[in-house]
Amino acid sequence: MRRLFLLLIASFLASGAAHADRLDDIKQAGVLRVAAFDSNPPFGFVDPDSKQIVGLDVDYAKVLADKLGVKLELRPTNPANRIPLLTSGKVDLVLANFTITEERAKQLDFSIPYFSSGQQFLAKKGTLTSPDQLNGLRIGADKGTTNEIVLRRDFPKAVVVAFDDTPFAFTALRNGNVQAITQDGPKLVGLLANVPDRENYEIPPFTISDDYIGVGIPKGEKRLADVVNETLLELEASGKAAAIYDAWFGPNTKQPLPRLFKIGDKK
Amino acid sequence: MNFSVISDNLDYLLVGAWPNGPVGGLALTLVLSALSAVASGLVGLVLGIGLAMSAGWPKRLLVVVLGFFRAIPVIMLIFWTYFLLPILFGFSVPEIGTVVVALSLIGGAYLSYAVAAGIESIAAGQWEAGFALGLGRWRVLRLIVLPQALHAMAPSFVNQWTSLVKDTSLAYVIGVPELSFVAAQVNNRAMVYPTEVFLFVGVVYWCLCVSLDRFATALANRRGAAAEGAG
Amino acid sequence: MGVFGEPMALRYLIWLLEGFAVTLLLSAAVSVAATGLGIAVCGLKLSGRRPLVILADTYVSIIRNTPLLVQLFFWYFGASALMPSGLMTWLNTPHVLDAVLVSLHWPAFETIAGFFGLTLYAGAYIAEEFRAGINGVDPAQRESAMALGLRPALVFWLVVLPQAVRIAWLPVVGQYLNTIKNTSLTMAIGLAELSYASRQVETETFLTFQAFGIATILYVAAVAVTEAAGHAVARSGRFAWATQRP
Repeated sequence: MRRLFLLLIASFLASGAAHADRLDDIKQAGVLRVAAFDSNPPFGFVDPDSKQIVGLDVDYAKVLADKLGVKLELRPTNPANRIPLLTSGKVDLVLANFTITEERAKQLDFSIPYFSSGQQFLAKKGTLTSPDQLNGLRIGADKGTTNEIVLRRDFPKAVVVAFDDTPFAFTALRNGNVQAITQDGPKLVGLLANVPDRENYEIPPFTISDDYIGVGIPKGEKRLADVVNETLLELEASGKAAAIYDAWFGPNTKQPLPRLFKIGDKK
Repeated sequence: MNFSVISDNLDYLLVGAWPNGPVGGLALTLVLSALSAVASGLVGLVLGIGLAMSAGWPKRLLVVVLGFFRAIPVIMLIFWTYFLLPILFGFSVPEIGTVVVALSLIGGAYLSYAVAAGIESIAAGQWEAGFALGLGRWRVLRLIVLPQALHAMAPSFVNQWTSLVKDTSLAYVIGVPELSFVAAQVNNRAMVYPTEVFLFVGVVYWCLCVSLDRFATALANRRGAAAEGAG
Repeated sequence: MGVFGEPMALRYLIWLLEGFAVTLLLSAAVSVAATGLGIAVCGLKLSGRRPLVILADTYVSIIRNTPLLVQLFFWYFGASALMPSGLMTWLNTPHVLDAVLVSLHWPAFETIAGFFGLTLYAGAYIAEEFRAGINGVDPAQRESAMALGLRPALVFWLVVLPQAVRIAWLPVVGQYLNTIKNTSLTMAIGLAELSYASRQVETETFLTFQAFGIATILYVAAVAVTEAAGHAVARSGRFAWATQRP
């Protein structure tokens, strides 16, 4: 109770401070600008029929825009452009399978996690069974991801070849230019589900890190962050978060994955 | 080879998400090319005249600035104008503007040398004739020298514009949905047809650049013939 | 401070310098190979044999009228999908070429594709510059040399070529400068050159301004030094002597 009271006081003081912050800007413009992936099903990808960007991240973005009562405007991004887009003020939020790290938290603020995953690998069947084999392999990663950094730090003998986006790395794998590619597990599952000759590939059952995915928010935008966090918690409480998850990873989808993480499990 | 990946996505490659979203694909490439062509032509003309008509330290300063824009890779300049200008100076250029600004600065820097060379190629006698008529320096330039010089510069302009059409593909790095970017999206979604996708995109650019070249040559020839006929 | 942040650690500066070294080596290798290719293609164009001329014209037209980025995507992602998997495996396996004095490490496929794509690109432009150089030689000179009784081949080598090289030299240097800048596009196919390194440093440190600022300065410096060297060669006594107009 006391914490809630303090929170109320704090938010009152913050809103009382007369300067317009990003939340006011968004409401005044009537538009929430969100960076989302355009080539990473099921998080963010261009729907072949509607030509619009859709996906799990996009569903969350829509809810946030509705909550703010404004129009949603999506900007396509690749992994490397996420932070520059946010720090240069080109977008208000990033919802693009964005892993929360301490380093990144110095540049921007994160919401509470709304998704969790671990860094995994995709390789041709039978080529990769344990992490020990990673040293000495040529491994495709995405520029500007934590996957790239973790791999370089923990497996210094692996040759990391970084591409603009995961499907490019996959093409390099398919052509034999790299022997494995690395990404968050759910993203690889989503990718593999869309590969025509998926029977030739596998995702070996080991992870080399645990990642929590959050919404990227411009540094110091406290009120905006509060709205985002509140909305995420409401989504979990109302069961809508589970519904969004099921729409993309549920048993009837191309990439069924059990939902082990709930919003609010980790602050 | 399986070109159904092209036919299935043809409308997306040609116009992007339009009419349910912003114009993209080939149509956006055309828009970017046209805007950059006009802007680079103006930049080239103004700076080229500056280069030909100035002397001393203003000229040296201009040479250094032009040298910078001729030396920086297009990708780097696009990064600077897109991500770094807003942080550094607090104003933000929209994506399409960024590409047009970057391409016209670089294209203009190249063109300004062609413009200056064109002006300098006009014989001194032409200037003197103009002065003898009692015209000032700028009026001689505008009425006598430039019309002749522009004819000599025309091939440089066409070459530079062909380069511009090709360089619009670099808008890919900041997510502007022009032809190369939507092609990369289609390639990423289909995943197993990179040969077909990039071959098709190459053919489209080729048609675009070659027809621009043919059109400009035809235009120049007609003008040339008309000028000769009149003379 | 401010937007620039604290100075980057030495380790990241070394990454940038390594990337710069790759840019310089790649540019040099491409310039040499593209000059050879350009001369050969120019030779085809001047051969007067129709099939050869058509071949050369087609090559130049395809390369000059499509974006380099699309070409690089095609060579790296597209063409390697067409190659037999045995060849791809061989190309991707590290080989060591043991010569007597040096042992060369087989480059990664990114490097091979980047080198190949950039060389084909620059070669088409250099071929056109050489052809313009040869066309720029006053036909009267050729005729007067022939009148002296020299054989056509000798006239070409002694009279036309030296002047053509002189005319073409600075435009060809311009193509070398373009090559330095164009290497930046190979970052899209995973080649660890300067632009790639600057993005990598940015990923790890978020020192966006420093990473791109240093990369920009290095590019501009490389282009400026190469251009100055090209002009110095053009002015040097030996070059002028070799190409002096009679």
